[in-house]
Amino acid sequence: MIDTIVNALVGLLGEDWRAGLEYITNGKHMAWYASFKFTLIAAVAGAFFAVIFGLLGAAAKQSKFAPLRWIGSFYVNIVRGVPDVLFFIFFPLAFEQTVEYFFSRARCTAEEIANNAGSWPPCDAAQWYLSGNDYLILACVSLGLVYGAFAANVIHGAMISVPKGQLEAAQAYGFTEKQVFWRFKVRQMWVYALPGLSNVWMLLLKATSLLSLLQIADIVLWADRLGAPNYLARAGLVHPDWRWKYYLALFIFYIIMAMISERVFRALQNRASRGMVTVN
Amino acid sequence: MTSPVLSVTNIKKRFGDLEVLHGLSLEAHSGDVISLIGSSGSGKSTFLRCINLLEMPEHGEISLAGDAIKFKSDRNGGRIASDPQQVQHLRTRIGMVFQQFNLWSHMTILQNVMEAPVRVQGLPKAEAKEIALEFLDKVGVADKRDAYPAFLSGGQQQRVAIARALAMRPDAILFDEPTSALDPELVGEVLGVMRQLAQEGTTMIVVTHEMAFARDVCNKAIFLHQGLIEEQGHPSEMFSNPSSERLKQFLSNTAN
Repeated sequence: MIDTIVNALVGLLGEDWRAGLEYITNGKHMAWYASFKFTLIAAVAGAFFAVIFGLLGAAAKQSKFAPLRWIGSFYVNIVRGVPDVLFFIFFPLAFEQTVEYFFSRARCTAEEIANNAGSWPPCDAAQWYLSGNDYLILACVSLGLVYGAFAANVIHGAMISVPKGQLEAAQAYGFTEKQVFWRFKVRQMWVYALPGLSNVWMLLLKATSLLSLLQIADIVLWADRLGAPNYLARAGLVHPDWRWKYYLALFIFYIIMAMISERVFRALQNRASRGMVTVN
Repeated sequence: MTSPVLSVTNIKKRFGDLEVLHGLSLEAHSGDVISLIGSSGSGKSTFLRCINLLEMPEHGEISLAGDAIKFKSDRNGGRIASDPQQVQHLRTRIGMVFQQFNLWSHMTILQNVMEAPVRVQGLPKAEAKEIALEFLDKVGVADKRDAYPAFLSGGQQQRVAIARALAMRPDAILFDEPTSALDPELVGEVLGVMRQLAQEGTTMIVVTHEMAFARDVCNKAIFLHQGLIEEQGHPSEMFSNPSSERLKQFLSNTAN
Protein backbone atom coordinates (compact mmCIF):
# COMPACT_ATOMS: atom_id res chain seq x y z
CA MET A 1 0.00 0.00 0.00
CA ILE A 2 2.74 2.35 1.04
CA ASP A 3 4.73 1.48 -2.10
CA THR A 4 1.74 2.48 -4.18
CA ILE A 5 1.48 5.81 -2.40
CA VAL A 6 5.22 6.43 -2.75
CA ASN A 7 5.07 5.57 -6.46
CA ALA A 8 2.10 7.86 -6.96
CA LEU A 9 3.88 10.71 -5.20
CA VAL A 10 7.05 10.10 -7.18
CA GLY A 11 4.96 10.18 -10.34
CA LEU A 12 3.60 13.51 -9.22
CA LEU A 13 6.76 15.13 -7.88
CA GLY A 14 9.52 13.55 -9.93
CA GLU A 15 12.15 10.83 -9.49
CA ASP A 16 14.33 13.06 -7.27
CA TRP A 17 11.87 12.58 -4.43
CA ARG A 18 12.02 8.77 -4.45
CA ALA A 19 14.93 8.27 -2.02
CA GLY A 20 13.53 10.72 0.50
CA LEU A 21 10.01 9.35 0.35
CA GLU A 22 11.23 5.79 0.66
CA TYR A 23 13.36 6.83 3.61
CA ILE A 24 10.50 8.41 5.56
CA THR A 25 8.25 5.44 4.83
CA ASN A 26 10.64 2.67 5.79
CA GLY A 27 9.80 0.24 8.57
CA LYS A 28 11.47 2.20 11.37
CA HIS A 29 9.65 5.37 10.42
CA MET A 30 6.35 3.56 10.25
CA ALA A 31 7.01 2.33 13.80
CA TRP A 32 7.71 5.93 14.79
CA TYR A 33 4.43 7.09 13.32
CA ALA A 34 2.60 4.27 15.06
CA SER A 35 4.11 5.35 18.38
CA PHE A 36 2.16 8.62 18.18
CA LYS A 37 -0.83 6.60 19.32
CA PHE A 38 0.83 6.09 22.73
CA THR A 39 1.16 9.84 23.13
CA LEU A 40 -2.44 10.45 22.12
CA ILE A 41 -3.80 7.64 24.31
CA ALA A 42 -1.73 8.83 27.26
CA ALA A 43 -2.96 12.41 26.81
CA VAL A 44 -6.65 11.51 26.49
CA ALA A 45 -6.72 8.77 29.14
CA GLY A 46 -4.46 10.82 31.41
CA ALA A 47 -6.85 13.76 31.11
CA PHE A 48 -9.80 11.48 31.82
CA PHE A 49 -8.16 10.20 35.00
CA ALA A 50 -7.10 13.74 35.92
CA VAL A 51 -10.72 14.93 35.77
CA ILE A 52 -11.88 11.93 37.82
CA PHE A 53 -9.14 12.43 40.44
CA GLY A 54 -9.78 16.18 40.29
CA LEU A 55 -13.49 15.75 41.04
CA LEU A 56 -12.78 13.27 43.83
CA GLY A 57 -10.04 15.48 45.25
CA ALA A 58 -12.29 18.55 45.20
CA ALA A 59 -15.17 16.57 46.71
CA ALA A 60 -12.88 15.28 49.45
CA LYS A 61 -11.51 18.77 50.10
CA GLN A 62 -14.95 20.12 50.90
CA SER A 63 -16.29 17.05 52.66
CA LYS A 64 -17.97 17.44 56.03
CA PHE A 65 -15.94 14.47 57.24
CA ALA A 66 -12.61 15.82 58.50
CA PRO A 67 -10.33 12.85 57.59
CA LEU A 68 -11.58 13.01 53.98
CA ARG A 69 -10.84 16.72 53.98
CA TRP A 70 -7.30 16.03 55.16
CA ILE A 71 -6.81 13.43 52.42
CA GLY A 72 -8.09 15.90 49.83
CA SER A 73 -5.81 18.70 51.00
CA PHE A 74 -2.87 16.34 51.35
CA TYR A 75 -3.35 15.07 47.79
CA VAL A 76 -3.70 18.54 46.29
CA ASN A 77 -0.81 20.09 48.17
CA ILE A 78 1.71 17.25 48.14
CA VAL A 79 1.27 15.92 44.64
CA ARG A 80 1.33 19.41 43.13
CA GLY A 81 4.63 20.02 44.86
CA VAL A 82 6.45 16.97 43.51
CA PRO A 83 8.23 17.40 40.13
CA ASP A 84 6.26 15.43 37.55
CA VAL A 85 9.36 13.75 36.15
CA LEU A 86 10.15 12.41 39.60
CA PHE A 87 6.60 11.23 40.07
CA PHE A 88 6.63 9.37 36.74
CA ILE A 89 9.69 7.38 37.66
CA PHE A 90 8.59 6.90 41.23
CA PHE A 91 4.95 5.88 40.93
CA PRO A 92 5.05 3.02 38.39
CA LEU A 93 8.13 1.55 40.04
CA ALA A 94 6.65 1.83 43.51
CA PHE A 95 3.39 0.37 42.29
CA GLU A 96 5.09 -2.53 40.51
CA GLN A 97 7.27 -3.37 43.51
CA THR A 98 4.36 -3.13 45.92
CA VAL A 99 2.43 -5.64 43.83
CA GLU A 100 5.50 -7.86 43.68
CA TYR A 101 5.86 -7.61 47.42
CA PHE A 102 2.36 -9.03 47.85
CA PHE A 103 3.09 -11.67 45.19
CA SER A 104 6.21 -12.69 47.09
CA ARG A 105 4.26 -13.04 50.33
CA ALA A 106 1.85 -15.36 48.57
CA ARG A 107 4.09 -17.26 46.18
CA CYS A 108 7.64 -17.50 47.57
CA THR A 109 8.56 -20.09 50.18
CA ALA A 110 10.06 -18.93 53.47
CA GLU A 111 13.30 -20.58 52.43
CA GLU A 112 13.52 -18.63 49.21
CA ILE A 113 12.95 -15.38 51.07
CA ALA A 114 15.53 -16.29 53.71
CA ASN A 115 18.14 -17.27 51.13
CA ASN A 116 17.59 -14.28 48.95
CA ALA A 117 20.77 -12.26 48.71
CA GLY A 118 19.12 -9.00 47.77
CA SER A 119 17.66 -9.48 44.33
CA TRP A 120 14.12 -8.31 43.69
CA PRO A 121 11.67 -9.99 43.71
CA PRO A 122 12.94 -12.65 46.13
CA CYS A 123 11.74 -15.53 43.94
CA ASP A 124 10.94 -15.84 40.24
CA ALA A 125 7.32 -16.74 40.90
CA ALA A 126 6.74 -13.27 42.34
CA GLN A 127 7.97 -11.57 39.19
CA TRP A 128 5.29 -9.36 37.71
CA TYR A 129 5.81 -9.15 33.98
CA LEU A 130 4.48 -5.91 32.61
CA SER A 131 3.81 -5.57 28.92
CA GLY A 132 4.11 -2.31 27.02
CA ASN A 133 0.37 -1.85 27.37
CA ASP A 134 0.58 -2.29 31.13
CA TYR A 135 3.21 0.41 31.28
CA LEU A 136 0.99 2.63 29.18
CA ILE A 137 -1.87 2.15 31.65
CA LEU A 138 0.48 2.97 34.52
CA ALA A 139 1.63 6.05 32.64
CA CYS A 140 -1.98 7.20 32.14
CA VAL A 141 -2.73 6.72 35.83
CA SER A 142 0.47 8.57 36.78
CA LEU A 143 -0.46 11.48 34.53
CA GLY A 144 -3.95 11.40 36.00
CA LEU A 145 -2.63 11.46 39.56
CA VAL A 146 -0.22 14.34 39.01
CA TYR A 147 -2.52 16.55 36.96
CA GLY A 148 -5.59 15.45 38.94
CA ALA A 149 -4.07 17.33 41.87
CA PHE A 150 -3.97 20.51 39.78
CA ALA A 151 -7.45 19.80 38.41
CA ALA A 152 -8.76 19.27 41.95
CA ASN A 153 -7.55 22.71 42.91
CA VAL A 154 -9.12 24.30 39.84
CA ILE A 155 -12.40 22.42 40.34
CA HIS A 156 -12.48 23.28 44.03
CA GLY A 157 -12.15 26.96 43.21
CA ALA A 158 -14.79 26.69 40.48
CA MET A 159 -17.23 25.04 42.86
CA ILE A 160 -16.84 27.93 45.28
CA SER A 161 -17.78 30.28 42.43
CA VAL A 162 -21.13 28.58 41.78
CA PRO A 163 -23.88 31.00 42.92
CA LYS A 164 -24.92 30.03 46.46
CA GLY A 165 -28.56 30.93 45.85
CA GLN A 166 -28.98 28.23 43.21
CA LEU A 167 -27.59 25.58 45.53
CA GLU A 168 -29.86 26.87 48.26
CA ALA A 169 -32.84 26.64 45.92
CA ALA A 170 -31.94 23.00 45.21
CA GLN A 171 -31.75 22.38 48.95
CA ALA A 172 -35.08 24.09 49.49
CA TYR A 173 -36.74 21.83 46.91
CA GLY A 174 -35.80 18.69 48.79
CA PHE A 175 -32.72 17.54 46.90
CA THR A 176 -30.35 15.48 49.02
CA GLU A 177 -26.87 16.78 49.78
CA LYS A 178 -25.44 14.33 47.26
CA GLN A 179 -27.85 15.51 44.58
CA VAL A 180 -27.08 19.15 45.31
CA PHE A 181 -23.39 18.36 44.89
CA TRP A 182 -23.51 16.22 41.75
CA ARG A 183 -26.55 17.64 39.95
CA PHE A 184 -26.03 21.33 40.66
CA LYS A 185 -22.55 22.14 41.93
CA VAL A 186 -20.72 19.84 39.53
CA ARG A 187 -22.95 20.75 36.58
CA GLN A 188 -22.52 24.44 37.11
CA MET A 189 -18.86 24.62 37.99
CA TRP A 190 -17.56 23.76 34.47
CA VAL A 191 -17.99 27.26 33.17
CA TYR A 192 -15.67 28.51 35.93
CA ALA A 193 -13.34 25.51 35.80
CA LEU A 194 -12.70 25.23 32.06
CA PRO A 195 -10.16 28.07 31.69
CA GLY A 196 -8.10 26.57 34.52
CA LEU A 197 -8.58 23.03 33.24
CA SER A 198 -7.34 24.06 29.80
CA ASN A 199 -4.08 25.13 31.45
CA VAL A 200 -3.85 21.79 33.22
CA TRP A 201 -4.52 20.01 29.93
CA MET A 202 -1.70 21.88 28.19
CA LEU A 203 0.71 20.89 30.97
CA LEU A 204 -0.48 17.31 30.76
CA LEU A 205 -0.12 17.27 26.99
CA LYS A 206 3.47 18.45 27.27
CA ALA A 207 4.17 15.87 29.96
CA THR A 208 3.32 13.10 27.48
CA SER A 209 6.82 13.69 26.08
CA LEU A 210 8.09 11.95 29.23
CA LEU A 211 6.56 8.57 28.34
CA SER A 212 9.97 7.10 27.46
CA LEU A 213 10.82 7.36 31.15
CA LEU A 214 8.26 4.61 31.64
CA GLN A 215 9.82 2.11 29.23
CA ILE A 216 7.44 3.10 26.47
CA ALA A 217 8.88 3.39 22.96
CA ASP A 218 7.22 6.74 22.43
CA ILE A 219 7.66 9.44 19.83
CA VAL A 220 10.59 11.05 21.63
CA LEU A 221 12.50 7.79 21.96
CA TRP A 222 11.96 7.03 18.27
CA ALA A 223 12.97 10.52 17.20
CA ASP A 224 16.14 10.08 19.20
CA ARG A 225 16.91 6.73 17.59
CA LEU A 226 16.04 7.73 14.04
CA GLY A 227 17.86 11.03 14.22
CA ALA A 228 21.08 9.56 15.57
CA PRO A 229 23.95 9.30 13.04
CA ASN A 230 23.25 6.27 10.91
CA TYR A 231 25.97 4.45 9.01
CA LEU A 232 24.27 1.10 8.56
CA ALA A 233 23.03 1.02 5.01
CA ARG A 234 20.88 -1.97 5.83
CA ALA A 235 18.79 0.10 8.25
CA GLY A 236 17.95 2.72 5.69
CA LEU A 237 19.45 5.90 4.40
CA VAL A 238 22.85 6.72 5.77
CA HIS A 239 22.92 10.16 7.40
CA PRO A 240 24.84 12.15 10.01
CA ASP A 241 23.33 13.49 13.22
CA TRP A 242 19.82 14.56 12.16
CA ARG A 243 18.25 14.66 15.59
CA TRP A 244 17.35 18.33 15.34
CA LYS A 245 15.17 17.54 12.33
CA TYR A 246 13.29 14.90 14.22
CA TYR A 247 12.90 17.06 17.28
CA LEU A 248 11.60 19.82 15.04
CA ALA A 249 8.94 17.40 13.77
CA LEU A 250 7.93 16.79 17.41
CA PHE A 251 7.78 20.54 18.03
CA ILE A 252 5.37 20.88 15.14
CA PHE A 253 3.29 17.95 16.40
CA TYR A 254 2.90 19.53 19.82
CA ILE A 255 2.10 22.93 18.35
CA ILE A 256 -0.65 21.38 16.19
CA MET A 257 -1.99 19.57 19.23
CA ALA A 258 -2.04 22.83 21.18
CA MET A 259 -3.96 24.54 18.38
CA ILE A 260 -6.53 21.75 18.25
CA SER A 261 -6.86 21.85 22.04
CA GLU A 262 -7.57 25.55 21.98
CA ARG A 263 -10.44 25.02 19.57
CA VAL A 264 -11.85 22.12 21.54
CA PHE A 265 -11.76 24.14 24.76
CA ARG A 266 -13.42 27.09 23.08
CA ALA A 267 -16.24 24.78 21.97
CA LEU A 268 -16.51 23.26 25.46
CA GLN A 269 -16.58 26.72 27.02
CA ASN A 270 -19.37 27.75 24.69
CA ARG A 271 -21.32 24.68 25.60
CA ALA A 272 -20.78 25.16 29.33
CA SER A 273 -21.79 28.83 29.14
CA ARG A 274 -25.14 28.04 27.55
CA GLY A 275 -27.67 30.05 29.47
CA MET A 276 -25.03 32.33 30.98
CA VAL A 277 -25.31 35.88 29.78
CA THR A 278 -22.51 37.22 31.95
CA VAL A 279 -19.89 34.78 30.71
CA ASN A 280 -19.08 35.14 27.06
CA MET B 1 -61.09 24.83 63.75
CA THR B 2 -59.11 22.43 61.56
CA SER B 3 -55.54 21.57 62.47
CA PRO B 4 -52.91 23.82 60.90
CA VAL B 5 -51.01 22.82 57.77
CA LEU B 6 -47.90 24.26 59.25
CA SER B 7 -47.15 25.20 62.79
CA VAL B 8 -43.97 26.83 64.00
CA THR B 9 -43.46 27.37 67.70
CA ASN B 10 -41.07 29.49 69.70
CA ILE B 11 -38.29 29.75 67.13
CA LYS B 12 -35.00 31.15 68.40
CA LYS B 13 -32.06 31.75 66.13
CA ARG B 14 -28.66 33.19 66.81
CA PHE B 15 -25.78 34.15 64.51
CA GLY B 16 -22.70 33.81 66.66
CA ASP B 17 -23.35 35.74 69.85
CA LEU B 18 -26.20 37.71 68.40
CA GLU B 19 -29.68 36.31 68.92
CA VAL B 20 -31.80 37.56 66.02
CA LEU B 21 -35.05 35.68 66.67
CA HIS B 22 -36.28 35.62 70.25
CA GLY B 23 -39.02 33.02 70.13
CA LEU B 24 -41.39 33.42 67.19
CA SER B 25 -44.48 31.32 66.50
CA LEU B 26 -46.80 31.05 63.56
CA GLU B 27 -49.67 28.84 62.47
CA ALA B 28 -50.84 28.52 58.90
CA HIS B 29 -54.14 26.87 58.10
CA SER B 30 -55.06 25.71 54.67
CA GLY B 31 -55.81 28.73 52.49
CA ASP B 32 -54.13 31.23 54.79
CA VAL B 33 -52.16 34.02 53.22
CA ILE B 34 -49.88 35.43 55.88
CA SER B 35 -47.63 38.42 55.40
CA LEU B 36 -44.53 38.94 57.47
CA ILE B 37 -43.75 42.65 57.61
CA GLY B 38 -41.24 44.76 59.44
CA SER B 39 -38.24 46.96 58.80
CA SER B 40 -35.04 45.44 57.51
CA GLY B 41 -33.15 43.64 60.25
CA SER B 42 -36.34 42.71 62.04
CA GLY B 43 -35.66 39.04 61.30
CA LYS B 44 -38.54 38.33 58.93
CA SER B 45 -36.45 36.67 56.20
CA THR B 46 -34.48 34.67 58.75
CA PHE B 47 -37.74 33.53 60.31
CA LEU B 48 -39.04 32.42 56.92
CA ARG B 49 -35.82 30.53 56.21
CA CYS B 50 -36.10 28.76 59.56
CA ILE B 51 -39.47 27.32 58.51
CA ASN B 52 -37.92 25.05 55.86
CA LEU B 53 -34.65 24.79 57.79
CA LEU B 54 -32.45 26.69 55.34
CA GLU B 55 -31.43 28.25 58.64
CA MET B 56 -31.27 25.91 61.59
CA PRO B 57 -32.97 27.47 64.63
CA GLU B 58 -31.33 26.64 67.96
CA HIS B 59 -34.70 26.37 69.59
CA GLY B 60 -38.31 25.78 68.63
CA GLU B 61 -40.56 23.28 66.91
CA ILE B 62 -41.71 22.93 63.33
CA SER B 63 -44.63 20.66 62.43
CA LEU B 64 -46.05 19.89 59.05
CA ALA B 65 -49.62 18.60 59.28
CA GLY B 66 -48.98 17.58 62.87
CA ASP B 67 -45.72 15.79 62.11
CA ALA B 68 -42.99 17.47 64.18
CA ILE B 69 -39.43 17.62 62.84
CA LYS B 70 -37.09 15.72 65.11
CA PHE B 71 -33.84 17.34 66.16
CA LYS B 72 -30.70 16.23 67.94
CA SER B 73 -27.73 18.19 69.18
CA ASP B 74 -24.50 18.10 67.23
CA ARG B 75 -20.97 18.04 68.57
CA ASN B 76 -20.60 21.81 68.66
CA GLY B 77 -23.64 22.21 70.89
CA GLY B 78 -25.83 23.31 67.98
CA ARG B 79 -28.82 21.50 66.64
CA ILE B 80 -29.31 19.34 63.55
CA ALA B 81 -32.23 17.37 62.22
CA SER B 82 -31.99 13.76 63.31
CA ASP B 83 -33.59 12.49 60.13
CA PRO B 84 -32.46 14.19 56.88
CA GLN B 85 -35.26 12.41 55.01
CA GLN B 86 -37.85 14.04 57.24
CA VAL B 87 -36.38 17.44 56.38
CA GLN B 88 -36.40 16.60 52.68
CA HIS B 89 -40.03 15.59 52.98
CA LEU B 90 -40.83 18.89 54.69
CA ARG B 91 -39.09 20.74 51.88
CA THR B 92 -41.01 18.92 49.17
CA ARG B 93 -44.24 19.95 50.90
CA ILE B 94 -43.21 23.58 51.40
CA GLY B 95 -42.27 25.44 48.22
CA MET B 96 -40.02 28.47 48.30
CA VAL B 97 -39.69 31.54 46.11
CA PHE B 98 -36.56 33.63 46.59
CA GLN B 99 -35.85 37.30 46.29
CA GLN B 100 -33.15 36.64 43.69
CA PHE B 101 -35.28 34.02 41.86
CA ASN B 102 -32.44 31.47 42.04
CA LEU B 103 -33.50 29.64 38.92
CA TRP B 104 -30.93 27.05 37.89
CA SER B 105 -29.00 28.81 35.18
CA HIS B 106 -27.79 25.67 33.41
CA MET B 107 -31.32 24.44 32.74
CA THR B 108 -34.06 25.70 30.47
CA ILE B 109 -37.24 27.10 31.96
CA LEU B 110 -39.07 23.82 31.42
CA GLN B 111 -36.22 21.82 32.97
CA ASN B 112 -36.21 24.15 35.96
CA VAL B 113 -39.84 23.40 36.64
CA MET B 114 -39.56 19.66 35.93
CA GLU B 115 -36.36 19.00 37.85
CA ALA B 116 -37.66 18.60 41.40
CA PRO B 117 -40.86 16.71 40.53
CA VAL B 118 -38.78 14.21 38.52
CA ARG B 119 -35.66 13.92 40.68
CA VAL B 120 -37.12 14.44 44.14
CA GLN B 121 -40.69 13.27 43.88
CA GLY B 122 -39.96 10.60 41.30
CA LEU B 123 -42.66 11.60 38.85
CA PRO B 124 -42.44 10.12 35.33
CA LYS B 125 -40.98 12.70 32.94
CA ALA B 126 -44.04 12.88 30.73
CA GLU B 127 -46.29 13.61 33.67
CA ALA B 128 -43.88 16.15 35.14
CA LYS B 129 -43.71 17.89 31.78
CA GLU B 130 -47.47 18.10 31.58
CA ILE B 131 -47.66 19.59 35.08
CA ALA B 132 -44.78 21.97 34.35
CA LEU B 133 -46.42 23.25 31.18
CA GLU B 134 -49.71 23.67 32.97
CA PHE B 135 -48.14 25.89 35.63
CA LEU B 136 -45.92 27.77 33.19
CA ASP B 137 -49.07 28.53 31.27
CA LYS B 138 -50.79 29.61 34.46
CA VAL B 139 -48.06 32.14 35.29
CA GLY B 140 -47.93 33.23 31.65
CA VAL B 141 -44.43 32.18 30.57
CA ALA B 142 -45.16 28.95 28.70
CA ASP B 143 -43.79 30.51 25.50
CA LYS B 144 -40.35 30.77 27.16
CA ARG B 145 -40.16 27.08 28.04
CA ASP B 146 -37.01 26.40 26.02
CA ALA B 147 -35.15 29.58 26.96
CA TYR B 148 -32.50 29.79 29.66
CA PRO B 149 -33.36 31.85 32.75
CA ALA B 150 -30.79 34.55 32.03
CA PHE B 151 -32.66 35.53 28.87
CA LEU B 152 -35.85 36.35 30.76
CA SER B 153 -36.78 39.56 32.53
CA GLY B 154 -36.79 39.58 36.32
CA GLY B 155 -40.57 39.45 36.43
CA GLN B 156 -40.65 36.49 34.06
CA GLN B 157 -37.96 34.72 36.06
CA GLN B 158 -39.87 35.19 39.27
CA ARG B 159 -43.05 33.86 37.67
CA VAL B 160 -41.09 30.79 36.54
CA ALA B 161 -39.84 30.44 40.11
CA ILE B 162 -43.47 30.45 41.28
CA ALA B 163 -44.34 27.80 38.69
CA ARG B 164 -41.37 25.79 39.94
CA ALA B 165 -42.80 25.94 43.45
CA LEU B 166 -46.32 25.09 42.29
CA ALA B 167 -45.15 22.08 40.27
CA MET B 168 -44.27 20.35 43.53
CA ARG B 169 -47.96 20.64 44.50
CA PRO B 170 -46.89 21.87 47.94
CA ASP B 171 -49.03 22.34 51.04
CA ALA B 172 -47.73 25.88 51.42
CA ILE B 173 -45.35 28.24 49.65
CA LEU B 174 -42.86 30.58 51.32
CA PHE B 175 -42.13 33.84 49.51
CA ASP B 176 -38.98 35.68 50.56
CA GLU B 177 -39.40 39.28 49.36
CA PRO B 178 -40.49 38.08 45.92
CA THR B 179 -40.68 41.55 44.36
CA SER B 180 -37.77 43.33 46.05
CA ALA B 181 -35.27 42.58 43.29
CA LEU B 182 -37.61 43.65 40.50
CA ASP B 183 -37.83 46.87 38.55
CA PRO B 184 -40.93 48.76 39.65
CA GLU B 185 -42.79 48.15 36.40
CA LEU B 186 -42.32 44.38 36.77
CA VAL B 187 -43.62 44.14 40.33
CA GLY B 188 -47.25 44.13 39.22
CA GLU B 189 -47.04 41.01 37.06
CA VAL B 190 -45.59 38.96 39.94
CA LEU B 191 -48.06 40.30 42.50
CA GLY B 192 -50.85 39.56 40.01
CA VAL B 193 -49.87 35.89 39.91
CA MET B 194 -49.66 35.79 43.72
CA ARG B 195 -53.07 37.40 44.04
CA GLN B 196 -54.52 34.75 41.77
CA LEU B 197 -52.92 31.97 43.82
CA ALA B 198 -54.36 33.47 47.00
CA GLN B 199 -57.83 33.52 45.47
CA GLU B 200 -57.48 29.87 44.54
CA GLY B 201 -56.75 29.00 48.15
CA THR B 202 -52.98 28.42 48.02
CA THR B 203 -51.47 28.61 51.50
CA MET B 204 -48.79 31.26 51.41
CA ILE B 205 -46.40 32.92 53.84
CA VAL B 206 -45.01 36.08 52.32
CA VAL B 207 -42.19 38.29 53.52
CA THR B 208 -42.94 41.55 51.78
CA HIS B 209 -42.62 45.32 51.69
CA GLU B 210 -45.72 45.61 49.51
CA MET B 211 -48.18 46.96 52.04
CA ALA B 212 -51.04 47.12 49.56
CA PHE B 213 -50.59 43.43 48.84
CA ALA B 214 -50.49 42.65 52.56
CA ARG B 215 -53.66 44.65 53.15
CA ASP B 216 -55.70 43.48 50.17
CA VAL B 217 -54.65 39.87 49.76
CA CYS B 218 -53.51 38.52 53.12
CA ASN B 219 -55.89 37.33 55.78
CA LYS B 220 -53.25 37.72 58.43
CA ALA B 221 -50.28 40.00 59.00
CA ILE B 222 -47.42 39.59 61.43
CA PHE B 223 -45.34 42.64 62.26
CA LEU B 224 -41.85 41.80 63.48
CA HIS B 225 -39.57 44.13 65.34
CA GLN B 226 -36.07 43.14 66.43
CA GLY B 227 -36.78 39.43 66.35
CA LEU B 228 -40.08 39.58 68.22
CA ILE B 229 -43.69 39.63 67.11
CA GLU B 230 -44.79 43.16 67.92
CA GLU B 231 -48.31 42.88 66.60
CA GLN B 232 -50.40 40.47 64.54
CA GLY B 233 -53.93 40.26 63.29
CA HIS B 234 -56.08 40.88 60.30
CA PRO B 235 -54.19 43.33 58.09
CA SER B 236 -57.01 45.77 57.38
CA GLU B 237 -57.75 46.26 61.08
CA MET B 238 -54.10 46.23 61.99
CA PHE B 239 -53.09 48.80 59.38
CA SER B 240 -56.02 51.16 59.96
CA ASN B 241 -55.81 50.93 63.71
CA PRO B 242 -52.32 49.90 64.85
CA SER B 243 -52.03 49.43 68.59
CA SER B 244 -48.26 49.46 68.90
CA GLU B 245 -46.24 52.63 68.54
CA ARG B 246 -43.66 50.85 66.38
CA LEU B 247 -46.20 49.63 63.87
CA LYS B 248 -47.65 53.14 63.67
CA GLN B 249 -44.20 54.47 62.90
CA PHE B 250 -43.49 51.68 60.40
CA LEU B 251 -46.79 52.30 58.60
CA SER B 252 -46.20 56.02 58.38
CA ASN B 253 -42.71 55.38 56.96
CA THR B 254 -43.96 52.97 54.32
CA ALA B 255 -47.02 55.01 53.40
CA ASN B 256 -44.88 57.40 51.32
